[in-house]
Order: sequence, then C-alpha cells, then structure tokens
Amino acid sequence: MTEPLIDALAYPPIQRAAIACVLCGASCSLLSVFVVLMRMPLIGVSMSHAAFAGAVLGMLLDVNPFLSGLVLCLLTAGALGPLSDRTDMAPENVLAILFSLLMGLAFLGMGILTRTKAGALSLMWGSLLSLSRMDIWVLAAITLLLVLFIILFFKEIRSVLFNRRLAASSGIPERPIYYALLFLTGAVVSSNLATVGGLLIFALLVQPGATALQLTYDLRTFFIISMASGIGACVLGLIASYLFDLPSGAAVVLMATIIFAAAYVFSPKRRRAKLQKGNLSHENDSR
Amino acid sequence: MGKPLIELEGVTVRKAKGFPLEGIRLEVSHGEFVGIIGPNGAGKTTLLNVIAGFERFEGTLHLFGRRESWKRSRETRLRIGYVPQTLPIDPAFPILASEAVMTGAVGRLGPFRSPGKEEREKATALMEMMRVAHLADRPLGQLSGGERQKVSLARAILQEPDILLMDEPTAALDIAVQREVLSLVNELHRREAMTFLFVTHDFTMVPAAMRRAVLLDQGRIIFDGDVATAVSSETLSGLFRYPIEIFTRNGRRYVSYD
Repeated sequence: MTEPLIDALAYPPIQRAAIACVLCGASCSLLSVFVVLMRMPLIGVSMSHAAFAGAVLGMLLDVNPFLSGLVLCLLTAGALGPLSDRTDMAPENVLAILFSLLMGLAFLGMGILTRTKAGALSLMWGSLLSLSRMDIWVLAAITLLLVLFIILFFKEIRSVLFNRRLAASSGIPERPIYYALLFLTGAVVSSNLATVGGLLIFALLVQPGATALQLTYDLRTFFIISMASGIGACVLGLIASYLFDLPSGAAVVLMATIIFAAAYVFSPKRRRAKLQKGNLSHENDSR
Repeated sequence: MGKPLIELEGVTVRKAKGFPLEGIRLEVSHGEFVGIIGPNGAGKTTLLNVIAGFERFEGTLHLFGRRESWKRSRETRLRIGYVPQTLPIDPAFPILASEAVMTGAVGRLGPFRSPGKEEREKATALMEMMRVAHLADRPLGQLSGGERQKVSLARAILQEPDILLMDEPTAALDIAVQREVLSLVNELHRREAMTFLFVTHDFTMVPAAMRRAVLLDQGRIIFDGDVATAVSSETLSGLFRYPIEIFTRNGRRYVSYD
C-alpha cells in the first residue's frame, strides 16, 4: 500500500502538495488555539469568506487572487478590531455582519464573472495538485511568522487569552497582540485558499484547537497537540484522498473530525471532571 | 498631605440611556481606603472604569498628578491594579492558578523578558498570603469562586500597583468566604503601601480598613465622609429607598431590614 505513495512522492506536484499539507495543518492549527480559547469561531468563517471574496474580485479585475484575497482579509481584520472594540455591539454580531457582507460580495463576484467559474470554485474547495513553488514559499513564510509571533510573545499571548480586560489593565499591550492576531489570521487564511479552499479551512481553524482542549491544561502542550492534530489531519487526509480517490479538502476535514472525536471520547480532562462531579455528589449524599 | 493620587473634576459619562455618572468631583490621597457604596445602577462600576481607563468620559481626571484621558500609557496602567467581581473561566481552559497569578507580572516585565526566580518567589509568597499556595498547580477553572477571587487578588498585587481597584470582589461569594476575603483585603492594606478603592452595594460587608465612604446614587455623589457617619439609618434608607435600621449593642453595630 505504501509503494504507490512513495512512487507518487517522486513527482514535483505531489511533493508540493505534501509540503503544503504540512504547512497548512501547522498554520491553521496554531491559529485554532486562539479561535477556540477566545471563543470566536466566526473569525475563521469571516476571514475565509473575506479571502474568498477578495480572490473572486481579483479574478474579475485580473489581479493575482492571492494578493486580492490577502488585501480583503487584512482590510477585514483592520475593520474588525476597532469595530468590536469601539461599538456597543458584541464582537460576534460584528463578525456575523461582516461575514454576510463578504459572502454577498463573493457571490456577487461569482455572478458577474463572465469567464469559466472553475477557477473561482477551486478557491472554494482548494486544489492541492496545482500549487506553484511561489505558493509554497508564501505559505512557509507566513507559517514561520506565526510561529515566531507565538514564541516571542508567549507570556503576553497567555495573558490576553486568559482575560483581555485584565491584560489591558495590567499594562500588557493587549490591543496590538489582538490586532496582530487578526492580521495573521487574514494572512494564513488567504495563503491557504489554494490548499484546502475558502470553505473547508473553517474546520481546520476550529477542530485542532478543540482537540487540544480535550487533552491538556498546559498552554505550551496545547499549541503542540493542536499543531500535531492539524498536521496529522492534513497529511492523513491527503493520503486517504490519494489512495481512495477522494476530494482532498473533504478528506482532510473528515480526518480532523475523526481526530477530534477520538480526543473527545478518550479525554482525560472529561474523565477527571466526571470523577470530581461524582466525588462531589457522593460527599453531598453522605452529609 | 501631598497632592491627591486620584482627582476627578466634573467627570460625566454619557450613554444612550442617560448619564451613568454626572459631574463627579472626588479626590483620593495616597494610602487611603475608600469605599464606593450605592445600589445597583448607581454608577459605581462606571466610576471605577473611568479610573481604570475602560470608559470614555467628559471632565478632567488627574492620576498621580498627571492629566489623563480614557486612553492610558503603559506606565499609568502598570500603577493601577484591578480586581473584577468574578473571574469567569471555562473549566477546561489551559491555565494553572500559579500561571494566572504570574500574568500580573507580565506587563511590568515587558516584552522578551521571562519571569525569573525572584518573580516566582514573589508569586508564591502572595499565594501563601492569600492561602491558595496549595492550589498552585490546579487548573484555575476548577477552583471555587472564593479560591479564584483570592488568586485574582494575588495577581493584582504581583503587578505592584500604587492604586488597587476592587469591583464588588465579594458579591458572588457565600458569607463565610466573603468574611475570609475581606480579612485578606484588610491584611493587604496593612502590609502594602497602596491606595484602595472598594466598590460594593453591600454596606454590611465592608473591610474594617475602610475609613472613608463615598455614597453614589443615580450617577452622583450624595455623601463623602467617614464610614461611621455613612452607615446610619437615615443615609442608607435614603440611598437604597428602603427602610433600614442601624442599632448598636455591646459596642457592635447591627443592621436590620425586612
């Protein structure tokens, strides 16, 4: 079974797809830690739709879809931070409004697009086998930037994830950290449009973090588990898609869900919480 | 007495529904322990938020002798500690009690500097003082409300602020834990050279160290003076619009209401 896989790795497009899978799994799963712990899953949806809408508009205007996707993502991130900080609206509502606007823009662009829509549709589902060398370099650079951001500002990030208000009140640069995070989300999502696509990327921005949440109380281990499960889902998904001739994006997302389900079922944290609950009710009964 | 640490002059906060604070004038000097007391919706938390830099306002505010807007420099924020009413957290959130305390030192340390041995010893000493040292390695989300509040106090003190703002820190706790937290607050005031602002709607649960009470009603200060005078049947019945009787027996004051 492994022979055809090894043979396939001799071809440059497959090599690029494999590298992109690892980078996509790493970058999305690192971001998913923030998405899950800050309880903002809509950030992923809004950003992926911003990237998608930007790329479709880029196709309309004959501009590089990655660049136009990145620009719209960064504009969305730039608008989202101040909007959720300055208005009386909850950030979730601001995100939902931005999300619908971006979805509207994307479908408007699709409607106007007179050329074949296959290019635009590939941005929805991703097309791992048609990645260029440049795509890989961009993805690698953005992943490296994200890893450096997490390593250099780990203690500030922990404080902001724990409680934004307390972080701000104790002199931590909470807003710059939060805004940097939004911009990095935009960059990661737009650079991954070609790998898993604008629709399915949402799963990778939530599931690896949700998997780690089942397994550890240590934030460093949390990042590592999340990254391992993200890379695992991408690589195993790609292998499954190759072996069983499945669409790669769908296989990756289903693999991420299987990993999450396994973590949920065997979660030591859940077992510990159940045990504590049991002890508590036993204590109350014996009183 | 030197220049006041906190000076508010004509401070007003406007909201769509009205004025949570209107024309506030208040001066607080170094080392004072001031209680901000009033019913729900009186503007107590808004006042604390103005001082903490969480709320836009009109009027003038001086902190440490310097005029401030609602936006604060890192240096000013470092000098103001904040203890919220509760510390809501997901039970599965990946942070231990000791790590939560250590977040108090992060702003002071600045970027690219990790907490060293000295910081860790300070954090341990504070957790011992707050009687939560034995919980250091427990996930914060699994601690009780009272234990979390003690962690929150230790976190705020590790910041080494000059002013400590406490927003109803005992409101969500049962009576025994409220008493314990209040005695810890008294101890803190005795040991640390800090100025304390303590917001509460419960005038029966105030720390003994509190000497001055500021009574707030509908966004205005209606009394500013010593606690003994503030806690009178007439003042409190007027403030809470409910008949409250205060009487003294064997040197202790008792509160009675239906």
